Amino acid sequence: MTDLDTQSEPKRYWRSLDELAEKPAFRDWMSREFPAAGSELPDSVSRRRWMQLMGASLAFGGMVGCRWEVEEFAPFTVRPQNRTPGEKQYFSSTWELAGTGRALTVTSIDGRPIKVDGNQQHPFTNGGSDAFDQASILALYDPDRSDGLFERPGKESIRRTWEEFDDALQSRIALHDKSRGRGLAFVCGASSSLTRKRLQQLIAARFPAMVWCEHEQSITRFEAEGSRMAFGESVRTHLDFRKAKVIACFDADPMGAHPAAMQMVRDWADRRDPDANWMNRLYAFESGMSLTGSNADHRLAMRSGDIPAFVARLETEVTAAIKSGKIVERASADAEKMPRVLAALVSDLVQHRGESVLMVGPNQPAEVHARIQRLNAMLGNVGATVTHTIDPIDSDIAVTAFPDLVQQMEAGQIETLVVLESNPAYGSPLSQRFATALKQIAFSVHAGVYRDETSKCCQWHVPAAHFLEAWGDCRTWDGTATIAQPLIAPLFGGRTTTELLSLFTRTGLTSSEQLVRRAFLSWSSETMKPPREAVRLKSESEWRKAVHDGFVEESDFAARDVTLESDLDERLPVGKLTKTEQSLSANEIELVINTDASVHDGRFSNNGWLQEVPDPMTKLTWDNAAIMGPSTAKRLGVSHEDVVQISVNQTTVSLPVFVLPGIALNSVQLALGYGRTSAGHVGGSVADDVNPVGVDVSPLLQDETGIIREAVTITPTGKQHKLATTQDHFAIDAVGFEAIGNRLGELVRTGTLKEYEEHPDFAAHRGPHHPPLESPWEEQQYDGHAWGMAIDLNRCIGCNACTVACQSENNVPIVGQDQVLAGREMSWLRIDRYFAGDPEDPEVAHQPVACHHCENAPCEQVCPVAATVHSDEGLNDMVYNRCVGTRYCANNCPYKVRRFNFFDYNASLAKPENALQKMILNPDVTVRSRGVMEKCTYCVQRIQDTKIDAKNNRRSIEDGEIVTACQQACPAKAIVFGDLNDKNSAVAKAHDDDRSYGMLSELNTKPRTKYLARIRNPHPWLAEEGV
Amino acid sequence: MATATLNEFDNTVIDPAVRPPLMGGENSLSSITEQVASLAERQHAPRAWKIAFAISTSLTVMLFALIGYLIATGIGVWGNNSPVAWGWPIVNFVFWVGIGHAGTLISAILFLFRQDWRTSINRFAEAMTIFAVMCAGIFPAIHIGRVWFVYWLAPLPNSLAMWPNFRSPLLWDVFAVTAYATVSAMFWYLGMLPDLATLRDRATTRIRKIAYGIASLGWTGSSKQWRLFEKAYLLLAALATPLVLSVHTIVSFDFAVSQVPGWHTTIFPPYFVAGAVFSGFAMVITLMVPARQFFGLKNLVTLRHLENICKIVLATGMMVGYAYATEFFIAWYGGNKYEQFAFINRALGPYAWAYWTMVSCNVLAPQLFWFKAVRTTPWAMVVICVLVNVGMWFERFVITVTSLSRDFLPSSWGYFTPSLIDVLMFVGSFGLFFTLFLLFCRFLPMVAMAEVKSVLPESGGH
Repeated sequence: MTDLDTQSEPKRYWRSLDELAEKPAFRDWMSREFPAAGSELPDSVSRRRWMQLMGASLAFGGMVGCRWEVEEFAPFTVRPQNRTPGEKQYFSSTWELAGTGRALTVTSIDGRPIKVDGNQQHPFTNGGSDAFDQASILALYDPDRSDGLFERPGKESIRRTWEEFDDALQSRIALHDKSRGRGLAFVCGASSSLTRKRLQQLIAARFPAMVWCEHEQSITRFEAEGSRMAFGESVRTHLDFRKAKVIACFDADPMGAHPAAMQMVRDWADRRDPDANWMNRLYAFESGMSLTGSNADHRLAMRSGDIPAFVARLETEVTAAIKSGKIVERASADAEKMPRVLAALVSDLVQHRGESVLMVGPNQPAEVHARIQRLNAMLGNVGATVTHTIDPIDSDIAVTAFPDLVQQMEAGQIETLVVLESNPAYGSPLSQRFATALKQIAFSVHAGVYRDETSKCCQWHVPAAHFLEAWGDCRTWDGTATIAQPLIAPLFGGRTTTELLSLFTRTGLTSSEQLVRRAFLSWSSETMKPPREAVRLKSESEWRKAVHDGFVEESDFAARDVTLESDLDERLPVGKLTKTEQSLSANEIELVINTDASVHDGRFSNNGWLQEVPDPMTKLTWDNAAIMGPSTAKRLGVSHEDVVQISVNQTTVSLPVFVLPGIALNSVQLALGYGRTSAGHVGGSVADDVNPVGVDVSPLLQDETGIIREAVTITPTGKQHKLATTQDHFAIDAVGFEAIGNRLGELVRTGTLKEYEEHPDFAAHRGPHHPPLESPWEEQQYDGHAWGMAIDLNRCIGCNACTVACQSENNVPIVGQDQVLAGREMSWLRIDRYFAGDPEDPEVAHQPVACHHCENAPCEQVCPVAATVHSDEGLNDMVYNRCVGTRYCANNCPYKVRRFNFFDYNASLAKPENALQKMILNPDVTVRSRGVMEKCTYCVQRIQDTKIDAKNNRRSIEDGEIVTACQQACPAKAIVFGDLNDKNSAVAKAHDDDRSYGMLSELNTKPRTKYLARIRNPHPWLAEEGV
Repeated sequence: MATATLNEFDNTVIDPAVRPPLMGGENSLSSITEQVASLAERQHAPRAWKIAFAISTSLTVMLFALIGYLIATGIGVWGNNSPVAWGWPIVNFVFWVGIGHAGTLISAILFLFRQDWRTSINRFAEAMTIFAVMCAGIFPAIHIGRVWFVYWLAPLPNSLAMWPNFRSPLLWDVFAVTAYATVSAMFWYLGMLPDLATLRDRATTRIRKIAYGIASLGWTGSSKQWRLFEKAYLLLAALATPLVLSVHTIVSFDFAVSQVPGWHTTIFPPYFVAGAVFSGFAMVITLMVPARQFFGLKNLVTLRHLENICKIVLATGMMVGYAYATEFFIAWYGGNKYEQFAFINRALGPYAWAYWTMVSCNVLAPQLFWFKAVRTTPWAMVVICVLVNVGMWFERFVITVTSLSRDFLPSSWGYFTPSLIDVLMFVGSFGLFFTLFLLFCRFLPMVAMAEVKSVLPESGGH
């Protein structure tokens, strides 16, 4: 391939399946099998279609990795060069969640992607990933995916072809050409893609009067408005946790919901090393219980509506302290917790000028954002720990707000509406109105991976390609341009959003590859203005490198110098609240609505892994609930699992109560993303008689903010609803509650930095005292490898990345809500969450628990058929085909990590119509049958992979070469795995660390997984007072 | 009532000068034969028997249908979960094994101790044992996840040279229960040989002649045969005696050898054996009192027999109560907080209702047997013994489920709720038990005629 710019547009470039699919012969063949109105297959892919698709896509497998050559089909009878069947290949890719890119490395076996991880090379994300990344691959093989084009001229939906769609669309476009785009509207999600920006410009040039709307329920406008208020321009704020010694979060969750969470988690965790020169201190002020709050050194629960007042007070005190230059005095010891924490925070901030970070959550009003910007500036943090860049969401082209679009639709001003991978008919207070107006529109198209609520109201539905099926690009939070390459041909012939947008340009349909290339390579040759800080690649080799690496080096946004507006202090006086910031009276109840840790804004509703992954704090699966503190529940006269009716301005939703310690008094937390009616067979589909999962609370939202403060009434309905939690909830009997308190100190050993400095081995003494443990028989010796693991509780934040990664790597089935209620969830790796202390203001501990591979494994001794035995490398092996399922091992396991196949959870995979689902399976891991026990294997398949390779190449295994799936996913790098026989290995060092301890090791189990005790870094004043 | 009933007579008065007779009425060698054998020789079963048989066979069919469903679907049809991996099936297993204790104890141990009063009830109790062990045997077999590989638990030579794990108490259990079932069955059958021959000799129909003829293994009643019979009987009794102790000891090892708090206690073997005897004797009363009434056996199974059993129930009940107290004491004294919690949780936790049901039924109810009036009132003893059986089932429930539901890590704590299948299978096991029992009552000699005759005064000690 030579010069890209001059190359004529080859319409069907390398994606020969598309090409094939569009040839009349192929189409005929297809339509013989599936008549145009092929309603016979509403639910899933049939076996034949599967064979067709897979025949093609497996053949494609041979070509992944070198996409830019014109390639041909090659059946596997002739092995392509450099390919060994069954060997894993890794490709860089990326995807976007609500406008922020995530850099990925995708594992592919024989042409099918099976696992997603973070891209280790990526300068910003550094290989971290979260539960969403890990689970993103499941959608690729979801049998509920849209499998074709549909037109709904009347009541019935008729299957169409791309040609038919293209014809219909082109005649529509021709119509708008005359009106310069009047009446033409696009709705899509937020995106940082340069390709899309370029197309947006091209379309805007052709249709100047068109309407472009970016609908993203999880993004509020307050952050941008706040920065505009403070600096006069909309900027993105970047917080450097690597440099920050003091971090204060106001209703913000940098470890959970924040788009840059992965980076911030890693930086935060890197600064939690008690042996380093310094350790950061985290303060959290929040109404709900976020991951950040649960990991904070000091957490203060307050209603979200009280945060502005608190920030104003902080502002006043910090300003006073800076002005006076005096040392901040500590609050009197009899004072309440709030003033004492405030005084400590002020003293910390004043002492660490230029070394602290203050951040505020997206639900807080713009004024609070402006105040925090001002505080950061005042403390000298701007330019040091806090930097600003352009706000990429702040588009160069006029963007219509979603409410305005709905109004225009209702007014009949929109004639053609194109909805691109967005679902506005669900999850917004305007959804109902949008859906009604949508039905009236003359020509409406929905492109999506699923046929969702919006699709049901549109005339046309066209399938979108999954991100692993197409080229794409986006930018991570820092601006680094990342590039996605396809790993498999579109399974259902979907097109990308960019390909669909290209239909509206004068060039016409262009392949996603060409589009992405042009966005990076040939922008200069065009007449239009590139977006701010566009990325340009100069040559083909740079492009190749970028595709290979998955990102463009040094393409992050340049820091911008911003200065506070000179009249800011007048418009927003220090310490004086504006009207929008006023607190509620103490007795009023507020609702706080946020995206969900599992299903986000509902886009992952049909993802079984995410539905079943327990919420980090509530441990709730398959549901949302009205989460409130014990006192609030008492005040309202409700208890756990009571269904309540929540009304705001005549809008009412009913959902069960979840009583969770630590939620601010009079604050009720709700999660978006539930109650979907057209998600699919997992997330709910009314048409298929699948009940929605949870309840949609979005009708309660007002004016974009998730904090609802006016006239909230909560009344019990007298009904009950069982909540499927994987761990005991707060409503536990007194005996159990006391016992948990007694045990916690030994299970999760925690000390303060001071304690650690004085007694580095304090963790060893936190355990029970017992006589020396002796073995009744001669213990096995390990001459070769002796695998072991260490989990640093000081780093672990309790997110679910490892849990989902384990599920993906090890073919762990999901079991559904009923089975979770019955206590039969299958996760090999769970994260235990404990509360300690006052239920209104508890301390929280997270502890990942998987099989400990005990040296004296209690499970091994009781198995009557020797189905679980020790390997000569110290692994506690589970021999599935020897297991008869007495479950004695599970009883005798003190860690309760063994999972039993009570039913044939994988039965559906054997059915031919579910062959698509089966593609997700990792071929290196046995799919377990009914009646056998299973558990964590330390990713034995990865150990074997490396061992085989090392043996073949006559080399030794390096430390860190074998990475377990949980370890790889962990954004905080809390998990270390390796050879304990290698005294220099990271894991051996961790086992010898002063902080290391074995959980329940007094039982003489000799666990191979050790924990490193958690060190807290409280402010000395508060530590003395025991706050 | 099909047979004439004799009036109750009181042979429970203890007068050192006069030994009260073991049996009442005017019994002769032939009257006993007539009385017992005629029950097995009736042409038509009584109506009540038919009704009872219809109900119990229906339940048995239900049990086997549910087993089929279980095997086709998976263990998930029960309420078992994580952490309670063993639920009702194991509770039922231990319950039935416990019931199966009285028979061999009566036959073997009381035989060795020359307790002549046993002769009237031993056949009955032994039959109960066999049937209870059959019910018990079903549960551990079907409770495994892949029942089609149940034979892997047996040390069968195979090409993989793969042996079972001899360190596992579950394997010991396999040997203990099969040995017990085999020896009990042999003991029962051997003891029945002379009586089967009597039935053969009295048989009037061809089918009966052939059936009893085969079953009696050519017994002629010659002196030589009697000599060999008694030798064999004595030997089997000697063999069965340790088994009475071993089987429940080893069943208790399933629990005691593990490290689950509440299971890991050294008191379990004696405690389990006492509990088993307790529940077994309670079951004997529960079955014996209606049977002697119904079949008119009051002269052979007298009040004194019943009173003796009540005394054993009282004694073993107190042993069980003592064991409960000791468990608590040791949990406190041992200072292991997990064990302490296991017991506090039993008494005060979410399963407190089960614990206190157990204590009231097993410890408090038998205290009424201190009163002679209660010991000699058949209906009262039935009520108490049914309570004891309920209590003993709950004891196994408390041990199995309560301990598992809350062990070391609070994060894994759970609560067990039985499914409908759990309940129906337990009911079905009673159906199987009673089906077998009713068949026994219908076709086999319920009382050991030959042995009873040997304790008649006219036998002169022969």
